[in-house]
Amino acid sequence: MGIFENVLLAVAGIKANRMRSLLTMLGIIIGISSVITINTLSNILTAKIEGIYDSFGGISLVGFRLTRKDDAVRERVSDEDRFSAVIRDDIAERFSDKVDYISFSSGYIDCTTTSHHNMYDVTLYGVNKHYIKEYMFDIGAGRFITDSDCEKGASVCVISDRQAKKLFGSVHGALGKTLSVTQKGDGRFAMILDFTVVGVYEYKVDAVTSMMLNAVGNDIESWNTDVYIPYTKMNRLLDKEDFSNYINVHIIPGLDIDGVATEIKDYLNNTYYRKNDSYNIRYWTQEQEMSMFDEILGTISGVIAVVAGISLLVGGIGVMNIMLVSVTERTREIGVRKALGAPNSAIRIQFIVESIIICTIGGAIGILLGIGVGNIAGIIVGRTASPDLSIIILSFGFSMAIGMFFGYYPANKAAKLDPIESLRYE
Amino acid sequence: MKKSAPERIDNGFVISARDIVKKFYIGEPNELEILHGMSFNVPKGQFVSIVGQSGSGKSTLMNIIGALDRPTSGIYYLDGLDVSQSNDKELSAIRNKQIGFVFQTFNLISRTSALKNVELPMMYAGLSAKERRDRAKELLEIVEMSDRSAHMPNELSGGQKQRIAIARAMANDPSIILADEPTGALDSKTGRLVMDLFHKLHREQGKTIVLITHNNELAAETDRIITIADGNIISDSDETVTQLPPIMQRHAQKKQSEQAPAQGEFVPETIAAADGA
Repeated sequence: MGIFENVLLAVAGIKANRMRSLLTMLGIIIGISSVITINTLSNILTAKIEGIYDSFGGISLVGFRLTRKDDAVRERVSDEDRFSAVIRDDIAERFSDKVDYISFSSGYIDCTTTSHHNMYDVTLYGVNKHYIKEYMFDIGAGRFITDSDCEKGASVCVISDRQAKKLFGSVHGALGKTLSVTQKGDGRFAMILDFTVVGVYEYKVDAVTSMMLNAVGNDIESWNTDVYIPYTKMNRLLDKEDFSNYINVHIIPGLDIDGVATEIKDYLNNTYYRKNDSYNIRYWTQEQEMSMFDEILGTISGVIAVVAGISLLVGGIGVMNIMLVSVTERTREIGVRKALGAPNSAIRIQFIVESIIICTIGGAIGILLGIGVGNIAGIIVGRTASPDLSIIILSFGFSMAIGMFFGYYPANKAAKLDPIESLRYE
Repeated sequence: MKKSAPERIDNGFVISARDIVKKFYIGEPNELEILHGMSFNVPKGQFVSIVGQSGSGKSTLMNIIGALDRPTSGIYYLDGLDVSQSNDKELSAIRNKQIGFVFQTFNLISRTSALKNVELPMMYAGLSAKERRDRAKELLEIVEMSDRSAHMPNELSGGQKQRIAIARAMANDPSIILADEPTGALDSKTGRLVMDLFHKLHREQGKTIVLITHNNELAAETDRIITIADGNIISDSDETVTQLPPIMQRHAQKKQSEQAPAQGEFVPETIAAADGA
């Protein structure tokens, strides 16, 4: 008797007991679908996170930060410790074959502005022309801060589209207008500053991305209050030399990011910070930050895997139980088959095949359900993905293996039934 | 120890049973002897009925004839082959190819069409799908059930089910058709039809049929009646065939002496008893 006939027989049996078969499969369905769901979700989130980091200048962006040494003697950071224009130019020149651009912010001032008797918070940031590439902003109208703005220390600014609409009615209507801001403070030293709006940037962060960024400490909502001005202007307003606490270096794509970053860090520490008693330089890559998401995903995956494992075990025991019931119910049929000449092996195979079919159907339903649930969640996040083919094949194979493992005992019991006793069974 | 291929002895008897004893063990010291040493032969093409009341050992004898069970001692030749020492796997093959069972309660496999039921023994015999289908259709033609081939058992009447079961019994062209109270669950009219079918198969196809029944009227229709009571044959309407042919006697004697040397003298005694009766 061929496997094909056994499969047909098993399918007929499952059809005859639809509800029972479905309930039997439930454990397998839940187990497999959770594996597939988490795999789909993790692929979606990974793609999403990569997308976010890409819009942050991509994985080639390396942040160099001033870091206090373990044996630091000072708490306060002095100007000598900070990144100077000399350092920036030195990096740009020395590593010109490896560095694409350097962006930085030289400081900020919290201000307010008034329009139609409403007061709005704004934060002025002194930036260079590359700053825009680092964040997920597009220019909606006009232009961003340029080198020439910075050289002149011009009183120009780039505002967000939200601000443009609130303060000037429309994005294009804001261009050329004057933004008047008042520095926050105790009032005695309050400055009133006027800037000409030369550009409007589009705030293009979706809710889920914003949520995910908030989770790792980036308050996206506060960004729409950001107003960008030339860093030279900012230095003048803050009455300080050209220093910054950090620089972001964008390494030419395709190069070994960690290698170049280490090279730059070592160069800076050896050249500029050797004699510094308290501070030196460290760097952070996007990859390091992404690994945090991977860790979170890994933890969730681990928990789900345990749940799936337990579910599959319970499901397998359920299958074994129902197969034992099935063997008892069909004792007489087994007796007849034996009387007609079925060897024990044929009976054993018949029941193992039935068990495998139940589990395989359960596995297939679980895979489809998992892809469905994963992608429904994906629609909310705004990105869909399929699970890994290897995971699908593995799940399918694992379902079959469960069927074989938990079907063997009942099938063997059926095979060993005494034909005379079985024929007499009522 | 490896089992040698069974020796086949052709003698014209489909069934040769010699001193069949069946004991059941109910706990160590208690043994219950159901069959006390039955000997009989059935020649090819005979329609024989085995009659006995319930508890006579009828069912136990049927199980042994049908290769569902092995005798505790004694020798059983089926179509010239000694099957009394066969293992489970060999018994399966014997049941599959040599014996066609017809049961009182039909025992068709549920949720399986009439055609597929008839195909079942051929499936276990390893015939191809086409061979099975052709043969099954042919058999349904013989039992006049061609128009019901796609029906499920629960869509058939008792008489129809039994005819399907008879077609199934003949699937692998077995040496004997073993019918256990085949009309027991049928009304007298359909029972008559089923009996007529057996007569037709016997007459037209030359089938050897063993009918087990407690109905003396049905038994009277057959070529020969073997009556059993309390585990013994108490009468046989055709005692001429009870004796083993000489070639088989020698084989049986040799085998018996190998098995139990102390009983080596049983053959002459049995022959003497048969001669004297």
